[in-house]
Amino acid sequence: MKIGFIGLGVMGRAMVANLLRAGHEVTVWARRAESMQPLQALGALPSASPADCARGADAVVTIVTTGDDVRQVVLGPQGVIEGAQPGCVLIDHSTIPPSAARDIAAALAARGIDMLDAPVSGGERGAIDATLAIMAGGDAAVFERMKPLLSAVGRTLVHVGPTGAGQVTKACNQLILCAFIEAAAEAARLAAASGVDFGKVREAMLHGSAGSKALELFGGRMASRDFSAGVQSRLHHKDMGIVLGEAVQLGLAMPLSASVWQQLNALMAQGGGTLDTSALLTVLERQSSPH
Amino acid sequence: MKVGFVGLGLMGRPMAGHVAKGGHDLHLWARRPESLAPFADSGAIVHASIASMAREVDVLFSMVADAPDVEHVALGPQGVAEGAAGRTDLVFVDMSTIAPDAARTIAGQLAAKGVSMIDAPVSGGEVGAINAALTIMAGGTQAAFDRVLPLFQLMGKNVTRVGDSGAGQVAKACNQILTGVGVLALAEAFAFAEKSGVDAARVREALLGGFAYSRILENHGQRMLDRNFKPGFKSWMHQKDLRIVMNEAHRMGLALPSAAAAAQMLNAMVGQGLGEEDSIAVLKVLEDLGGVER
Repeated sequence: MKIGFIGLGVMGRAMVANLLRAGHEVTVWARRAESMQPLQALGALPSASPADCARGADAVVTIVTTGDDVRQVVLGPQGVIEGAQPGCVLIDHSTIPPSAARDIAAALAARGIDMLDAPVSGGERGAIDATLAIMAGGDAAVFERMKPLLSAVGRTLVHVGPTGAGQVTKACNQLILCAFIEAAAEAARLAAASGVDFGKVREAMLHGSAGSKALELFGGRMASRDFSAGVQSRLHHKDMGIVLGEAVQLGLAMPLSASVWQQLNALMAQGGGTLDTSALLTVLERQSSPH
Repeated sequence: MKVGFVGLGLMGRPMAGHVAKGGHDLHLWARRPESLAPFADSGAIVHASIASMAREVDVLFSMVADAPDVEHVALGPQGVAEGAAGRTDLVFVDMSTIAPDAARTIAGQLAAKGVSMIDAPVSGGEVGAINAALTIMAGGTQAAFDRVLPLFQLMGKNVTRVGDSGAGQVAKACNQILTGVGVLALAEAFAFAEKSGVDAARVREALLGGFAYSRILENHGQRMLDRNFKPGFKSWMHQKDLRIVMNEAHRMGLALPSAAAAAQMLNAMVGQGLGEEDSIAVLKVLEDLGGVER
């Protein structure tokens, strides 16, 4: 397929490499031209704007940070909508509010462009290994048509429902993950305060009823106190903002998510936004140790 | 003074009325003509646009729902900025409750056009507005505040300039944290008493003289005992105000665990269809959750 790709961060770079490896023809665009160079070495073509990137493409993939970022590159001046031909499909892998995804899809539909909201889970490792979980919303037939592209970057591909359903799924994913990370941090704090080695506690729990990916990965980083690698907590903070924004829109009580959100606020205040979310442990340590 | 007013809802109508009664020339604009009906015999001058009003008045007030509305009034087509072109002495006073960040942005854009802005949200509800007993918390320059103070004194009793632009909205956000958490705490205390088989009215009476005394315990507490859930302050509005608080906390990186919990209860109320009732109806949610027999 002829693919335009926008957003060459940690995730995007790895995904482009996998698309090229699968034999697709990929044109890339990034705000900073130097981000495109390493991918050109792998065979990607550079472009001058999102519109230019989308010209002649069968599909355009975006993976950027916020809903406003997506709106900007897709609907803004020199955006995808100005270059894409009718019949082109926009696949947005960013994590944004479901309502934003629905708005953007509607604007594109008016120009005959289909959209899949297809956020991913699995982090940098999953992007490099092409093992991402992809949760998609949009037309089922479009999803089927895009499978050759999606299967080049991910392993678990699920069409959840109509437009927005992918983002709803991602919101559910993030609220469960962040709650589990906070629970692991509280367990780590309880163990340490009781004079028990959390590394051992984690090991003992890993295959029991409290076993989880969060305990394995994030709990592991808590045990080794290695907060530098993994998922930058500012991204989880952003995602919890989306979750609690939806709670207001829908009139839903989400008491647990709201608590976790506040702990993430505190982590941002500590300057921990670029640390892994396992650093939530350090917020608890500050909360309950003498100053 | 010539005073303009936009936003003649439950709050704005009596507030504008007090300004007229205070001997000032009232200028009005409203989206819907029926909002102007109560002023038919007041001698108020009706304008075809906000801009036309902004050309003539000394001070222009707005009392609308949310930040986009204020932005529209201030900076939109036929809005305050457009009408004030060429002037440097107009003061725009926004008494709506909006995000401090939004207030600062709008004030900055108006300043560039020569218009001073005061953010002056209020507390006290419809009753306070009718009785000219509002608490007014203002942000902006001292000079602009001093010009508007005589008008504030016609609408409210406690008028405070809290600080620069946005400071009024910060004070209002603090007010909403205290009332949101306070009402929830009170409802929890009453549900606790009820489930324990103890008369909540007697509990309230016992507490009134102690350290847990508060206006909320006294006033809201009495209304809870009377099962009078009429607003007062509608829970969907309280939900909106706490959404502002929580978004600011998110933006700044500040943990507010109790306010977050209170916000979730307000979400639940709106979801249950209690949005039009007073926020003290959170008692019903707690009774339902806790299987409290009444």
